[in-house]
Amino acid sequence: MFRFLIFTLFSINAALAQAAPLRIEIKNGVIEPLPFAAPTFVAENSAANDLAQDLVNVVSQDLVGTGLFRQIPQSAFISTVTSFASPIQYADWKAINAQALLTGAVGTDGKTVTVKFRVYDVFANQELGAGLKFSGSQDGWRRIAHKVADVVYSRITGESGYFDSRVVYVAESGNKGQRRKRLAIMDYDGANVKYLTGSDDIVLAPRFSPTGDRVLYTSYETGHPRIYVMDVGSATRRVLQNAPGTMSFAPRFAPDGNTIVYSLEQGGNTDIHLMNLASGQSRRLTNDASIETAPSFSPDGSQIVFESDRSGSQQLYIMSADGGAAKRISFGDGRYGTPVWSPRGDMIAFTKQSKGRFHIGVMRTDGSEERLLTASFLDEGPTWSPNGRVIMFTRETQGVTGAANLYSVDISGRNLKPVPTASGGSDPAWSPLGK
Amino acid sequence: MHIGHYISGGAHAGLIFWALFGGMFAPEPLPMEVVTVSVITSAEFDAITAAYQPPSIDMAAQDLTQTPTTETAPILETAKDETVSSVIPPARPEQTVEITKPQPVEPLETPQVEPAIPDQPAPPQEVTPDLPVTRPNAVPRPADRVAPEPVAPPKEDAAIDEQVQDSVALADAGQKTDQPEQEATAPEAATTEIVTEAKKEPPSGAPKTSPRPRQRPAEPQVEKTDPAPPETQKSDPSSVQDALAQAMAGTTSEPSGPPMTQGETDAFRISVQKCWVVDVGSEAANVTVTVGMSLDRDGMVDGGSLKLISSTGGSDRAANTAFNAARRAILRCQKDGYKLPVDKYDHWRDIEITFNPEEMRAR
Repeated sequence: MFRFLIFTLFSINAALAQAAPLRIEIKNGVIEPLPFAAPTFVAENSAANDLAQDLVNVVSQDLVGTGLFRQIPQSAFISTVTSFASPIQYADWKAINAQALLTGAVGTDGKTVTVKFRVYDVFANQELGAGLKFSGSQDGWRRIAHKVADVVYSRITGESGYFDSRVVYVAESGNKGQRRKRLAIMDYDGANVKYLTGSDDIVLAPRFSPTGDRVLYTSYETGHPRIYVMDVGSATRRVLQNAPGTMSFAPRFAPDGNTIVYSLEQGGNTDIHLMNLASGQSRRLTNDASIETAPSFSPDGSQIVFESDRSGSQQLYIMSADGGAAKRISFGDGRYGTPVWSPRGDMIAFTKQSKGRFHIGVMRTDGSEERLLTASFLDEGPTWSPNGRVIMFTRETQGVTGAANLYSVDISGRNLKPVPTASGGSDPAWSPLGK
Repeated sequence: MHIGHYISGGAHAGLIFWALFGGMFAPEPLPMEVVTVSVITSAEFDAITAAYQPPSIDMAAQDLTQTPTTETAPILETAKDETVSSVIPPARPEQTVEITKPQPVEPLETPQVEPAIPDQPAPPQEVTPDLPVTRPNAVPRPADRVAPEPVAPPKEDAAIDEQVQDSVALADAGQKTDQPEQEATAPEAATTEIVTEAKKEPPSGAPKTSPRPRQRPAEPQVEKTDPAPPETQKSDPSSVQDALAQAMAGTTSEPSGPPMTQGETDAFRISVQKCWVVDVGSEAANVTVTVGMSLDRDGMVDGGSLKLISSTGGSDRAANTAFNAARRAILRCQKDGYKLPVDKYDHWRDIEITFNPEEMRAR
């Protein structure tokens, strides 16, 4: 009787049952560049032949330069792309382990360039998003290439790119004791350098506005440090703070672009002030006998991180954008300075001096998870890429022949490399992503 | 008359209820510690004990049978001006402990073992402490690739490939060879953690931890085969209850056939994880995703079955990026199909993989 009952129930159950899936957990993966294939774009007319190759080269350099991608050489390709409309032979690209594929077509009439492109997830046998088309002046073909790279980067990583961006910095030339410094602006990859000031006066610490159309900087034109704001397009400028007997420096825009925060030295004491650009009215945010400087807003504009030696050594603090009590966030060995809030809002980059070496590091906004990314004789002045993924900074070498140059590093600590500049450079500031 | 029917009916109903649901009220069996023992004969025991020489003890060094005389009772000092409580605690009753004579315990039941003794592995050689070859705080060799296992840099002329093979050149003129020409291949160099420039600082040289001896080798696994149950074996009441409970429980059941072994599951896991590329600096590195899929008997993934089952941590966009990375890993590493035991297909027809990047972020 029992057996009959069990048999009956099992028969019913077997008919309804779904086998439980095999469940496993993977915690260990690999960190390596993602291989991609970028065949030369199809030239839609003979005038676009060279441009088709140049465009692909710039896009590939952008992607490879992140350290997150590896380009598969064209000599390894099995398939050729002769038409932008041709179906993709996924098997041929899988065979060479291309995980992503970029195809495109370029046309030009001598004045205007049109670029069409598609991105494919090879192993998923599908296109990543829809194809796009950019058009622009022939002179701006590099910017079009950067925009294509931004889209490809975004489609694959899920995050915005940073290739269509610029960097303002202090171009340095001459011997160490007689350096000539002038403001310069360039594409993020070192191309298209333009100088904004002459080399007669010392200039320091340029900072982009949130829209990228203006630059704040400090100049010793009057013999004392003064803050200026310059319109990038017209290179016109005006001084913002010129009170006698004072020194103003370390300016930075608030996220609204209408307010700046800066340091003002008055009577031997340095505190942080806020200034409305339209009215020119300033307000003191700190009032301590110690030195408070290097303020940087959080992306939402609600808080300010700055450095202070109020505890006896140079450390990082966070206070409300309205001032008031500050909370110390750095507690490691050594001295911390030049904090900069990440565009993502989750990290703060800083310079650290410890045991005779300088480091560029990052930490959470509460001071946790401090991670040192670099170490050298002198590293300082970090600036974030618009997507909060890369940090650019100044590295100066030791000795009388030592020179200052720009370097960049991924926030994981990988992909440390120099940024190409025509001469030496220091004090970089990354612009927001181009519109 | 009717009373008899009622009693009989009630008793039968109770019996059926007990058969169906009796197991539901049975208490959970307590966990039982199982210790593996080996049975030897008295002759073998004598041989072992004869070979064992007890260590000699120098009785003169320490005579534990003598009452220590050098130790003096501690002297309790009392505060002179201290007020003494007038309440005297009652004397504790003398505790007595009965010691019984040792009694023999029941001998262990002799298990039925196969007459043939399986081949035992050679005894492990003398275990020496696992001293590190390199400095204890040595920084891993930097490499572009970070993987669970370090890989030495390949030779300069070697192409990157998972397989290691030496190059074979074409034979000289007049010589015959059966081997086709091939180029040398080797895996790409890999390290186990991200080596930032800051980590390359010269170490102090002082070890942070003392070396530990190697872990004791595992006992040799002897596969036991349960004898076939006799025809007359009675049904185990508990198994009947379990079967009934499982049958009544719901719509899920264990697949038929032998289950996947840990080794088989690990092999599959490793074959997927070596293709799982984690971008540790991205927001997606904060997202844990669980991906479901179905496979055919050849171990090939049904691409349409790949789906995101759940995700935790991060935005929807980051979750989608994490899912795409997981999907790429699964599809890229299947090649001609995952090597899974065909006779256990029911166990791996549907698979759910959780990709957890938590440990990757710490590298």
